[in-house]
Amino acid sequence: MPFIKKNNPTMDSYEHDCSRDLNELAVQLVDENPVIRRSAALNLAEHQGASEILIDRLKQDRDISVRDAILTTLISLGDTFAVIGLVECLRSEDAALRNEVVDAMKQLPEKVAPIMTSLLVDVNSDVRIFAVNILESLRHLQVETWLDRVIEDDPHINVCATAVDLLGEVGTSTSRAALIHLRSRFPDEPYICFAVNLALKRIGEDKGT
Amino acid sequence: MKRILIVDDAATVRLYYRTILESANYSVEEAINGIEALEKIMLISFDLCVVDINMPKLDGYGFLKELRRQAIDQPPVIMISTEAQASDRQQAYRLGANLYLIKPVKPSELLTHVRLLLGEARA
Repeated sequence: MPFIKKNNPTMDSYEHDCSRDLNELAVQLVDENPVIRRSAALNLAEHQGASEILIDRLKQDRDISVRDAILTTLISLGDTFAVIGLVECLRSEDAALRNEVVDAMKQLPEKVAPIMTSLLVDVNSDVRIFAVNILESLRHLQVETWLDRVIEDDPHINVCATAVDLLGEVGTSTSRAALIHLRSRFPDEPYICFAVNLALKRIGEDKGT
Repeated sequence: MKRILIVDDAATVRLYYRTILESANYSVEEAINGIEALEKIMLISFDLCVVDINMPKLDGYGFLKELRRQAIDQPPVIMISTEAQASDRQQAYRLGANLYLIKPVKPSELLTHVRLLLGEARA
């Protein structure tokens, strides 16, 4: 199959000539050449049913440029399979993949918002931390309420620490009671006390109360 | 005065470490991700880096990998993470971390390890 024009083997012409057929693109997505895999990933943006294939490859491909292309297409597709697949990747042992997925999910606020409540109570504390990280760019009316609930109820100190960092930026006086309660839950943790005091100061409250 | 680079995307965390380290008379610079940290390291020599793992753009592992490739005097690196999984710790040490700490880090704990890595610990 002629993937590359012989008279002009540039990436642009290659992408132009690349197959648009879903099955062919799926085959190209596992090609040994990362340029072909990357191009296939980008071209799959034209196929609404491609998210499952892309998620499967995202978990396996080690090439950062290919993973970047896969995530670009998943963000473009933004369907339920894409979002569910991205959430699954948050549980990966691959730290780089987890960070890439958090960045991708930040770009899907309307798709992520409906599942945020369940992400924030996930059994895996790392997933809950990533969920709070995603909240940072969600710009959703519920963000402060979600964060207050986290620092009121979550038993894991690092989930609370991540939430209080964000409350320091987006919190209002509404969060005052939750912040003070958090400080009382972890009185011997210097970081929590430091972050709560800073958040209270930033939202204009007396940290000594 | 020894110079320390703090790399973390959370402003509160950077301020927390800065407060601790400056109280012990260290000079502190900050970076909000691995890319900014590498840019600073190309311009300024640091005696030690305190690096978060989960950061946008270039995470702590990516930073460490690039740092250890550079032909510069290599500062010791303390990686600090919320993740206690053995695989995370192993990856950090494999890439050249000198120490892997789990958040939250208490002031005394941070200063003890900083002084040890800087060769300042009392006998």
